[in-house]
Amino acid sequence: MSAEGRFRFVGVRVGRKDGVLKATGRATYAYDVWLPGMLHGRILKSPYAHAEVRVDATEAERMGAVVLTPRDVPDVLFNPRLVSVEEDTFKDWRVLTDHPRYVGEPVAAVAAASEEAAQRALEAVRLEPVRVYRPLLDPFEATRPGSPAIHERVMRGGAWVDVEDNVACTLEYSEGDVDRALSEADVVIERRFHTNRRYHLQPEPKVAVSRPDPDGGVTVWTTTQTVHNTKILISQVFGIPQSKVRVKKVFLGGGFGSSIHTNLVTLVAVALSRKARRPVRMALTREEDMMHDHVSFEMHMRIRAGAKRNGRLSGAEFENVMDIGAHQIQPYPLLGTALGWFVSLYKWGAIRYFGRAVYTNKVPSCALRGYGNPQVTWAVETVVDELAEELEMDPVEFRLKNYVGKGDLFWGQGPTVKSIIRSDGVPELMRRGAELIGWRNRPRPGEQTGRYRRGIGVARGFHTSGAGGPLSGSVIDYSGAFLKVNEDGSVDYVTALQDHGGGTLDAHAKIIAEELCIPLEKVNVVWSDSSTTVYDVCTHASRGVYVGGEAARRAAREVKRKILEYAVRILNVAVGPEALRMRYDEELKDAVIYVEGSDAQTTLSEVARTAWQRNWGSISASVSFRATAAPPSFTAYFVEVEVDTETGRVRPVRVVAGADIGTVINPELAEGQVQGGFVMGWGWAVLEDTPYNPETGALENMGFITDYKVPTAGDIPPIEDFRVIFADTYEPTGPFGAKGIGEAASNPVAAAVANAIYDAIGIRFYELPITPERILRALRERERQGRESAQERGGGLS
Amino acid sequence: MLPEFEYHRPASLEEAVRLLSELGPDAKVIAGGTDLVVKMRAGLVSPRHVVDLSRLTEIRFIRDEGDRLKIGAGTTLWEIENSREVARGVPVLREAVEEMASWHVKTTATIGGNLCNASPAADAAPPLMVHDATLVVVGPEGRREVPIGEFFTGPGQTVLGVGEILAEVVVPKMRRGQGAAFEKLTVREGALSIASAAALVEISGGRFVDARVALGAVAPTPIRALKVERALKGRPATREILRSASREAKADIKPITDVRGSREYREEMSVVLVRRALERAVERAGGAWA
Repeated sequence: MSAEGRFRFVGVRVGRKDGVLKATGRATYAYDVWLPGMLHGRILKSPYAHAEVRVDATEAERMGAVVLTPRDVPDVLFNPRLVSVEEDTFKDWRVLTDHPRYVGEPVAAVAAASEEAAQRALEAVRLEPVRVYRPLLDPFEATRPGSPAIHERVMRGGAWVDVEDNVACTLEYSEGDVDRALSEADVVIERRFHTNRRYHLQPEPKVAVSRPDPDGGVTVWTTTQTVHNTKILISQVFGIPQSKVRVKKVFLGGGFGSSIHTNLVTLVAVALSRKARRPVRMALTREEDMMHDHVSFEMHMRIRAGAKRNGRLSGAEFENVMDIGAHQIQPYPLLGTALGWFVSLYKWGAIRYFGRAVYTNKVPSCALRGYGNPQVTWAVETVVDELAEELEMDPVEFRLKNYVGKGDLFWGQGPTVKSIIRSDGVPELMRRGAELIGWRNRPRPGEQTGRYRRGIGVARGFHTSGAGGPLSGSVIDYSGAFLKVNEDGSVDYVTALQDHGGGTLDAHAKIIAEELCIPLEKVNVVWSDSSTTVYDVCTHASRGVYVGGEAARRAAREVKRKILEYAVRILNVAVGPEALRMRYDEELKDAVIYVEGSDAQTTLSEVARTAWQRNWGSISASVSFRATAAPPSFTAYFVEVEVDTETGRVRPVRVVAGADIGTVINPELAEGQVQGGFVMGWGWAVLEDTPYNPETGALENMGFITDYKVPTAGDIPPIEDFRVIFADTYEPTGPFGAKGIGEAASNPVAAAVANAIYDAIGIRFYELPITPERILRALRERERQGRESAQERGGGLS
Repeated sequence: MLPEFEYHRPASLEEAVRLLSELGPDAKVIAGGTDLVVKMRAGLVSPRHVVDLSRLTEIRFIRDEGDRLKIGAGTTLWEIENSREVARGVPVLREAVEEMASWHVKTTATIGGNLCNASPAADAAPPLMVHDATLVVVGPEGRREVPIGEFFTGPGQTVLGVGEILAEVVVPKMRRGQGAAFEKLTVREGALSIASAAALVEISGGRFVDARVALGAVAPTPIRALKVERALKGRPATREILRSASREAKADIKPITDVRGSREYREEMSVVLVRRALERAVERAGGAWA
C-alpha cells in the first residue's frame, strides 16, 4: 500500500545506504578478501558423469602443492542446505568423493602460492577411472529397473536409508474424494508439463576464503545467503565447536538461491586451509559456476483438474516428478512446498498429490527464486486458463471466483506451515491490471492472420513471506536483531541477515528509523559475523523484510521502551513512560520526547548523553523472533506479446505488473524487484535451458554464457510500457504492514507469457522454454493438421 | 582457467610475420581475444605461443579510396559501427556489426579476428561477401590478395598459411542503383546467429541486373547462395520472383543441428532471412518493384 503521509521514513524514496560504497567500488565482496600468507586453491572436478575413480597426487605434491584427496576429508555425509529439522534432512554429499556422480563433482583439490601454480599442480593430479557407469540424464530412465544406482544408500537425519530405483524421496497427500469429485465435474482436463533446467547466473560467481585460527577454529569469508547455517555445517562436517567457526558477512553479488546452501567451494577451502595451516582462497570461474555448481529444479508435472458449470473448481490431481540431479539440496521440503504452491493458488476442492524426487547424473538442483513456485504456477495457471475457456468464463473472473484469499487457510510452505490470510490485494490487482492492459479488447485466441500476431495473457501467483507459522513444523525459520543506542543518540544495528543486493537491510534501517523517530543516517548497519549475531536462518523465501524487518522493529520497540524509561528521569513531571510520546523533529534531526499538553520535552540524543554521563548504562536490546505466519505476497501479471510467425520469435510489447506486498517500504527498490522479476521470468519462459550431451553427460554449452542467454534491457519493453502497480493493503503481522516481494515478482511470469502466446497464435505449450523453434514447429504442425482435416472433409464430400 | 602460453608482442607487422614463421603452427594470433580466449578457457585450443597484434596501429584504419574502402584487420567492430565512411560506403557491414555482441565485446573485437576465427556464424562475412571484398594477406612470401569467397575452408579454417596474417579488407563501395541489407536470427539481441543473410541487388529497367546473396551459420563456412542469385539475375524484380528465388536457399546450404538450432529450423529460416534481406535490399535500391 502507499505509505506516503502515514509514515516518516517508510515508503519514502531515499538513496541507498550502500550506494556510494558500491558505486565507487569500495564494497568488500568475498572476492576482495586478501589475507597475508594466503594460498590459492583449485578444485579437480570429475570429467565423468558417473564413475569410481582413483586419485594419484604424487606429482602435484612433489611440485610443493598442498593436496586434498577424498581420503583427506572427514568421512561425513551432509546436506549443504540446513532448513528442515534434522529428522527430515537427507544427506548424500561428501566434501570430496572418489565416486563422482555428475560431471563437475569435486574429486580433489590443491592449494599453492598463486592461482597459476595451483592450476599447474591441479593438472598434475592423475585421475584414473576404476569403473565408469552409463550416465542417467532422465528421471524416467533413472527409475527404470536395471539402471545403475546413483546412490545405494543415504542418511535421513542420523539413520541410513536405502535408495530404491534412484528415487531420492517421495511425498504423497490427499484430501477428500478426488475420484468422485472429478467424475462429478462438468469439465475435466489433464495436462503434462515439463520445465527447463535453469542456471542462476547470479552476478558473483562463488568465492571462499578460509583462515585457520590458532584456537583450532576457522574464520571464513564466502558467498552465502546465511552465515549461521554455514557456521553450523562447517562445525558438523569438521567437528569444530560452533564458537570457533566465524563466518563473516560480506557483500553478496546476487543470490537467487545459488548460495541458499553452503557451497562446496566453502567446505573445500576450509579443508585445504586446515591441511595447509594457512589461509586459502578459492574463486570459481563463471564456467565452473555454471557447469558444475547448481541449477534450478527441472520438473515433470501432470495436473488433472475438474470444475462445475457454475465456475467452481471441484477436484484436482497433481503429480510432480523432480529431476534433482546427483545430490540432494533439500528436494524433500520442496515436495511439500510444491504441493503448498499448488493448493494455495486455488480452492481445488478434493486433492490428491504424488511427488517424487529422482536422482540423475546431472548438476544438482537447488532453489532458484521461487523454490519450485514458478514451475508449479506455470502449470496451474495454464490449466486454470484452459478450464475458464472450457467453461466459457472470463479467465480473470474464473480466477477471482476460485483463488485462495483473505480469511482462507494458507500453507504455501507446505503441509506443516499453515496460517490464515489476513491481507489480500488480489481483486484490486486483477481488476486494475485488466483495465490498464485493455483486457476486454484482447484478441480472440488464434483468430489473427498475418506475420505478426499479438496476444494478451494473464497469470497470478504469490510467494510466502518467510516460512513461519503458529506450529513449529518441519521447517526452521526465525531471525534476530541486536540494537544499541550510542552515547550521542545514533544507533548501531547488528543482524546476521544477508542482503543479496536488493536493499533488504536498507528496508531494516528505515523500519528502525521509523520506530525510533530518528533520521536514516543515524542508523548504522554493522558488518557482523556469525559470532556476534543471534541466529537467522537464511535470506530466502522472501522473508528478509517480513521476518528480519520485524525482528529489527521489535528490537527498536524494546530500545524505545528503555529510552522512555530513562526519559522519565529527565522529564520528572511525567507520571511514567506511558505518558511520553516520541516524534521526529525535522530541524533537530532527532527524536523529540514530549508530554502531550505540556512544554516538557527532551531529545533522544539528550537521553543518550545523560545515560552515559550519569552512569545509567547502555540502552540496547537483543531480540530473537519467530513469525507465526508466512503471509502471501500476491502478484498478477498482464502481458502483451507479439509473435513473428515466420521465425517464431516472440517479444514482450506491454506489461502491467501488480504486486500486493502490504506497505511498500522502499518504492523504488520494490519496483526494481518487480521489473527484475519480469525480466528473469521472461528468460525462463522463452530463453533459458541447460541441455546435456547424452553421451558424456556434460553441459552442451560447457558453462559459457555464449550459449546461456538471459534477457537484457534490450529485450524488454521500454519502461513507459512497463507499468508496476501496488495494491493498497496492510499486513497486520508485518513490520508497519509489509510483506515480501523477491519471489512473488517472478513466479507468475512464465505462465502469463505462455497464456499471451496462446492468445496470439492459439497454441498452448507444455514445455519450457517456449523457444522460437518450438513455436514455429507448432505453427507448422497446426498448418499440416489443418490441411489434412480439410482433405478429409473434401474426401467425405466426393 | 587459461592454459599456460608464452606471450609475444611484436612492434610491427613485419616482425609479427617473422615471429609467426619462426614459431610455426604452435602459435596463435590474438587481436581482441574475444574468440581465442574463450576457446582457450574451454580447452578447445592450447597454443604454446600467443602473438598479440592488438597494438599494431598500422593495421588499424578505415580509408576511403574513391570507389573502395580499405579497412585494417585490427580495426575494432566498434570503430566500424561508428565510421561515417563505412555507413556511407558499405552500410550493410555497419548493419551487421550493429547487431553483433555487446558494446564491451565490440570495443575489443576486431574485424580481422571475426574473419580469421572463421566461425560459420561470423556476421561480418556475409556483408563482405555480397560486396565481393578482397582480403589482403601478408606473410613470409610477401603480400597476396584473396577473394573473400575463397578465404574460408571449413569451420575455424582459412587459407592462411604458417606465418601469414590478414592485414586488410578491401571493399568495393555501394554504387548508385544498388541496395543491400542484412538479416539475422538470434535467441536474443546481441547473441550469436542461428542463421544470417546479406543481400545486395542492383535494379535497372525493372530487372535484377545484379543480385548477390550470402548466408552465415548454415554451412561449414559463410557461403554465397549461388542458386538464389541465378534465380534472380536478369529476371523482373517482382515479389513473386523474389519469393521463389529465396526458396532456392535450401539448396545452397548445408546446416547442422546444434545447441542454437536444428537443421530443419535453419533451413526454413534461411529462406525467410534471404527473402527479407532481398526485399529490404530492393527497397533500398530505389524500391521500384516491377
